[in-house]
Amino acid sequence: MEALFAPVIRLLVIPGIIAAFSVAVICVALQLELSPPMIVGDSLQPRVFPILLMVINLVLASLLVFQYRREPPKKIQWEGIQTWGSIALFLIFYPITVYIDMMIAIAVVMFAMCLLWGERRIHVAGALALATPTVIFFLFDKALRVRFPRGLLTNWYYG
Amino acid sequence: MGSVLFDPYLIVLIFITTVLGVMIGVLPGLGATTGAALLLPFTLTMQPVHAIAVLATIYVSATFAGSITAILINTPGTSAAAATTFDGYPLAKRGEAGRALGVAVVSSTIGGVFSIIILCIAAPMLARVAYEFRPPEYFALALFGLSMLASISAGGTVRNLIGGVFGVWLATIGAEPTTGIERFMFGNYELYEGLAFVPVFIGLFAMSELLIQSNRVNQLANKITMKAVKLPSREDYRRIWKTVLRSCGIGTFIGVLPAEGATVASMIGYAEARRWSKNKDEFGKGAIEGIAGAEAANNAATGGAMVPTMVLGIPGSGTTAVILVGLMVHGLRPGPYLFTEQVDTVYQIFGAMLLANLLFMAMGLYAAKLFARISLVPLQLLWPVVFALATIGAYALSSSLLDVWIALIFGVIGFLARRHGFAVAPIAVGLILGEMVETNFQNSLKMFEGDWWQILTQPLAALFLVLAFLGLFSSSIANWFSRRRS
Repeated sequence: MEALFAPVIRLLVIPGIIAAFSVAVICVALQLELSPPMIVGDSLQPRVFPILLMVINLVLASLLVFQYRREPPKKIQWEGIQTWGSIALFLIFYPITVYIDMMIAIAVVMFAMCLLWGERRIHVAGALALATPTVIFFLFDKALRVRFPRGLLTNWYYG
Repeated sequence: MGSVLFDPYLIVLIFITTVLGVMIGVLPGLGATTGAALLLPFTLTMQPVHAIAVLATIYVSATFAGSITAILINTPGTSAAAATTFDGYPLAKRGEAGRALGVAVVSSTIGGVFSIIILCIAAPMLARVAYEFRPPEYFALALFGLSMLASISAGGTVRNLIGGVFGVWLATIGAEPTTGIERFMFGNYELYEGLAFVPVFIGLFAMSELLIQSNRVNQLANKITMKAVKLPSREDYRRIWKTVLRSCGIGTFIGVLPAEGATVASMIGYAEARRWSKNKDEFGKGAIEGIAGAEAANNAATGGAMVPTMVLGIPGSGTTAVILVGLMVHGLRPGPYLFTEQVDTVYQIFGAMLLANLLFMAMGLYAAKLFARISLVPLQLLWPVVFALATIGAYALSSSLLDVWIALIFGVIGFLARRHGFAVAPIAVGLILGEMVETNFQNSLKMFEGDWWQILTQPLAALFLVLAFLGLFSSSIANWFSRRRS
């Protein structure tokens, strides 16, 4: 039974996601305020263009189903821990940046990413994770005069 | 153009950027588009002409540099060098890596210089025509630009169009320009001006590539050792000169077409080189015409792609989409007025591209071996550095953490899209053209008092719409005819 449905499911997953997204956008667009006719004049209400785009997307999603029937999508080879771990590091980056410091967050993510991707020399990963944000920070601070968000280290640096 | 030579700061900047561009082009996965997106935030405090010269130089030098690793380790540094592997690597395996690189360097330089000459002639001519454009023409032109997404090689027509439509929708986020009605902001007032292009580009190109590369950490490259790069011999020049000239024309023309770029140009240049060759059997086994055809075309496309970018505000390729963002960020409005109000700036940019072509020729001939070693930097050390550059670069544009989150989110979106066979360049092009499509359509409706069909009565607009139709359906029509014939 599973073997029967698996190809069908594979055909419909991506078009289904695209169709669901399009319908969601149409629903949100229908909630948008209407502008008074004297402002809009002969042009379109703000909601019309996004709805038109999503209708085109629904048509394209159906064409995609036909295309997948002719040339079934390749079976996805699941990526290793390096990829999903890197995405998890993106998620970890957010709270460390907001609650601790952006440079510390970059250093932590860099260090963890080096090790996750197979770097065995901890001292090399550590040196890279410390040196890179430091160099880039001073480059942006001195040469480009960019102020970074307040955090543990930047509070101490900026005073 | 010659004023470039009287600006020592600009010359030094071009030299440094050419070195950077070659390094970026040599590193598999980085490429001209990602490199330009990462460097864009660094140009924020530069003068406009220096900033755009930096971005254009990266484009030109990275496009060439992909051939170095394509020949030496069978891994193109940029997608535009993929066709170079077909004959470059086999030639290198036969012990003629130096000769292969010599042909690639010379062909790239000729292609690049040719296209800049065409750029200098064609851009002002097109600008004079573009003065006549009104909202209907710009609307139709933007549709034509979007229709060309259908034929970008990666992804397939339907998937590229879905990406393009998604990109156009992204452009609707924010306050609607005429009425001020907030769309898809979900209460976040930082999105009032819409999504900033730079963090989206950094996410789609750099962050998604980081996630793609994470899966390639354990792949080993077969490295070819090389003594020195050799200039082509007289016999080699005799064999390749027609191919180079033909590919210069092909590459420049393909580059001018919206949304096509060096990758498509190199594939077509290679295919045509094979078609016209008297030694077709050699192709795939080390034919120097194959290398010359691909490399002349891909660098010729760089100048061609700048034509629609600077004259019409329509990106000629993924990298010129980033350059277009750079123009806007630095207050240079792409369009015909650039060629009247800022003509000195424009020609300094062209001069910078010309100088970059000559510089990368010198680097290719004398330092290719050194640059090739850069490609051996372990991925697990390289890509965390790219992560740091990308996050800080995304933040630096507006000193906003929201831009960093946007870059990370679009990194994941880009990765998932590419994982399922969707290209990300259409999303980027759609985002840039989206506002042009909507605003000019709205203005056309106001011009014609709601009669949208009157757009078809404007000759230039009708021409662009016909080209858009052909762009969308030409391959299907061609397939139908060939099925009928067979």
